[in-house]
Amino acid sequence: MNYALLAPEITLAIVAVVILAIGLMIPKGPHKGMVPLTILGLLLTMGVTGGQFAANVHGTFLNGMYYADNYASFFKLLFLTAALLVVLSSTEYVQKLPAHRGEFYALILFAALGMMIMAGSGDLITLYIGLETMTISFYVLVAYLTEDGKSSEAGLKYLILGAVSSAVLLYGISFVYGLTGSTVIAEVASSLGSSISPAIILALVMVLVGFAFKISLIPFHMWAPDIYEGAPTPVTAYLAVASKAAGFAALTRVFLIGFQQQVYGGSPEVVLAVLIAVTMIAGNLMAIPQKSFKRMMAYSSIAQAGYLAIGLLAGDQAGVKAVLFYAMIYVFANMGAFTVATLIANAQGSDQIKDFAGLARRSPFAAAVMLISLLSLAGIPPLAGFVGKFYLFSAVINQGWVSLAYIGFVMSMVSVYYYLSVVKTMYMEPGEGLPKIGLGGASKFTLFVTMIVTLFIGIYPTPLAQMAISAAKSLIR
Amino acid sequence: MPQYGSGLFVSIAHLIRGLFGGTTVTADVVMTVINSLIIWALIALAALSLILLERKVAGWMQLRTGPNRLGPRGWFQTVADAMKLLGKEDIFPAAADKWVFGLAPMFVIGLSVMVMAVIPYGKGMVPVDLNVGIFYLLAVSALTTIPFFMAGWGSNNKFALLGGMRAVAQMISYEIPLVFSLLGVVMITQTFKMSAIVNAQSHVWFILLQPLGFVVYTIAATAETNRAPFDLVEGESELTAGAFTEYTGMRWALFFLGEYANLFIVSAVAATVFLGGWQGPFLPGWIWFAIKVLFMVFLFLWFRWTFPRLRVDQLMHFGWKVLLPLSVANILLTGVGIYIYQLIYPAIGG
Amino acid sequence: MGNIGGGLVFLVFALVTVFSAYLVISSRNIIHSALFLILTFIGVAALYAMLDADFLAMVQLLVYAGAISIMVVFGVMLTLRGGPENSNGDTRNAIGGAIAALLTFVVLGMVIFTNSAWLTTGTGISGGSTVSDVSWLLLTKYVVPFEVAAVLLLVAMVGAIILAKGVDDSK
Repeated sequence: MNYALLAPEITLAIVAVVILAIGLMIPKGPHKGMVPLTILGLLLTMGVTGGQFAANVHGTFLNGMYYADNYASFFKLLFLTAALLVVLSSTEYVQKLPAHRGEFYALILFAALGMMIMAGSGDLITLYIGLETMTISFYVLVAYLTEDGKSSEAGLKYLILGAVSSAVLLYGISFVYGLTGSTVIAEVASSLGSSISPAIILALVMVLVGFAFKISLIPFHMWAPDIYEGAPTPVTAYLAVASKAAGFAALTRVFLIGFQQQVYGGSPEVVLAVLIAVTMIAGNLMAIPQKSFKRMMAYSSIAQAGYLAIGLLAGDQAGVKAVLFYAMIYVFANMGAFTVATLIANAQGSDQIKDFAGLARRSPFAAAVMLISLLSLAGIPPLAGFVGKFYLFSAVINQGWVSLAYIGFVMSMVSVYYYLSVVKTMYMEPGEGLPKIGLGGASKFTLFVTMIVTLFIGIYPTPLAQMAISAAKSLIR
Repeated sequence: MPQYGSGLFVSIAHLIRGLFGGTTVTADVVMTVINSLIIWALIALAALSLILLERKVAGWMQLRTGPNRLGPRGWFQTVADAMKLLGKEDIFPAAADKWVFGLAPMFVIGLSVMVMAVIPYGKGMVPVDLNVGIFYLLAVSALTTIPFFMAGWGSNNKFALLGGMRAVAQMISYEIPLVFSLLGVVMITQTFKMSAIVNAQSHVWFILLQPLGFVVYTIAATAETNRAPFDLVEGESELTAGAFTEYTGMRWALFFLGEYANLFIVSAVAATVFLGGWQGPFLPGWIWFAIKVLFMVFLFLWFRWTFPRLRVDQLMHFGWKVLLPLSVANILLTGVGIYIYQLIYPAIGG
Repeated sequence: MGNIGGGLVFLVFALVTVFSAYLVISSRNIIHSALFLILTFIGVAALYAMLDADFLAMVQLLVYAGAISIMVVFGVMLTLRGGPENSNGDTRNAIGGAIAALLTFVVLGMVIFTNSAWLTTGTGISGGSTVSDVSWLLLTKYVVPFEVAAVLLLVAMVGAIILAKGVDDSK
């Protein structure tokens, strides 16, 4: 057993526990010192993970129970980046939290740990435990504003729906175990071979449904809008980018390693394709009438999950690469938009789209970042989102799903409408009487980073694409 | 199947088995019936004698005589009390939840019987020697909270409900240190089997290896049996009689029986796990066992008549912030100890 | 015991489990539901014991029947308003629910009974008792999920305390 393979997870677990303990030791006050400490811990973990990635470590732990490969490392870097941006962007927000400020950071780290376990797990039990670690952290984070009815309601809804989806997933896993006698994904694949039976399809559908809840594919999306709206804004951002990416990380490994021969070329593939088409169409259409920015972003993120799942449907190296690439740029674009939303929520205590009125005058920089982030989400060249969508759609066209790519293109155009309506509010409407938005150092830094990355990758995608290819290669040989 | 050693009771059991053909199904069934009858008798006997003992000890500690009228030195007092209880009217309160109220006392006593089936009373005298013996014992005694809750809820009375809730909170809180305190012994013996735990103490009793575990166990067990200083469940000055307020006659007697059966059980477990069970020189095993159990019972009685009752918040504070960390520390220390021991004697252990 | 005796015992416990599970959802009094839930847990524990999974059976008793059910009961008592009669919601959707449950049951039953390839094993991993098998697996093959589960429980505990305490006494 080579415990060094687990170095990123162990580092993060230690950091999180230390942060939790320190949060208890300084019981009163604003907990300002926690931010640099958390960031330091995240950077340390990123360093360890990045080292593994750069060294192209490819190790399995205990006969495939756990992987430390570039695929996992790529996702781990993604989760850590998201956590870092969330911590940075929420610095001022956390100061306004009524209580338990120290634990907020620890929970964000624990959620990231759960996601890392999901990305690395080569075993369905490990995967499930990682998933639960992540979701339980999120239950608490979502309901963090204990005096806010909406936040509590969102937490409760998330808890109940999350528990139901976990139950479905677990039932599916139990079928897999009954059919193959193993929960190790690679062993499942070798045990199943190319056989297919109603029981296998049932197991697959249950696993797919369990994950579809987590990544909010329609019709398993009902939780998303309410919960995104009720949760504290930084948590919404984290939920939208990181937990979704973690769901994809796990689902992709399960499908491509465990059930490759069952999913692709058979009926499950068609089911997945239909889910994706419905998700892209309905997600974008339902985003249009939304008045609340967070609700709109919830539907937008449902649609984005549809785009991402296209890469999963393609199911080859190009597809996986596209998923990885898009998931990463999605983090930056979404975090940019949500950081601005957090600022607005902090200054005005509301998240309606009309509250963005006159933002261009009140804080030109924030408005610019919002503009760039939204356009990147819509996939307008020369921003990063365009490159990502290009990779996704070309991967799926190569696999013969031209119609899906077509739907994706059209719905991306539709999405421009609702993204631009926010832009219109920011730039065209006067916003009389609304306060100026003061940017703190941390938020300014977050906005700057997200903007630069979104622009840079749009113009010069090669480095990230190279990383994604290397990661995809480590998954599919 | 219990192993056969020497001893009066084991020989009798062997004889009865022989009558039914040794290892046949019939013999198993007959032995099971006999065993369970003996356990019922033991519970009745334990309750009757322990109640008398309690009153005598209480009297002795408070410099008075205790029961002294009926029979020689008042020895028949509890028998008479039991007779009286049997003859009393069985009252169901009008507002009670009939089934829940009626079943609660039966569950209390039923669980006690289930637990007593795995206790090693002597060499080869384990009615059912399970592989998971001590864990079974803990799991089943964890269920004891449920009848208390049923009694508290079913009575539909505010005192009963408060008492029931207190009982549940207290028993859940002290269940954890109780389980953890026994874990040290399990780590050393590497088995849950009761007979194996006794056998492992042929050289040294575990009270010497696990002093902290013994202390934590004794305190947590006092709380588990709802005895003073942890008797907030009844708290007669504030709650009349807690969960038992509405009970009368036979049903109330069953609770009383269960209470003293539980006292016997926790003492028996302490004797088995920490005091070497039936191991001892000269005397037969079951006599040693009885002596050790009586010693533990005396300890619990001593507690009861010495310490004042705790407040609810003190109780919770003590359970979660003192006993639980101590029991966890005990596990850590035991682990370190075993590790060092194995470094010195690599051949031993796992 | 012979096969017939074993089958009979199984039937008894299976019926107890299923019937008390039915009573959980059909009782009008939510306290009765909670108590029947405990009976369901005990029935499941008995089924585990019949499968020679004695350790698992005890865990089921200790954790589910002993602890989780008590938590359920506490939750009920702390949130129940008014009397216990008719506290268990309405059953307006009973017919729809029954149809959905029946369909699920039929589909699952067909899949399970028509599939011939279920794997069963007759022996334990190491041939020892289930306790040593389980502990061996937990600390070797499943060490990662085991340790992560520890983190998971810590998170759950911290989270529960945060949510339960609220903002009042913890600024």
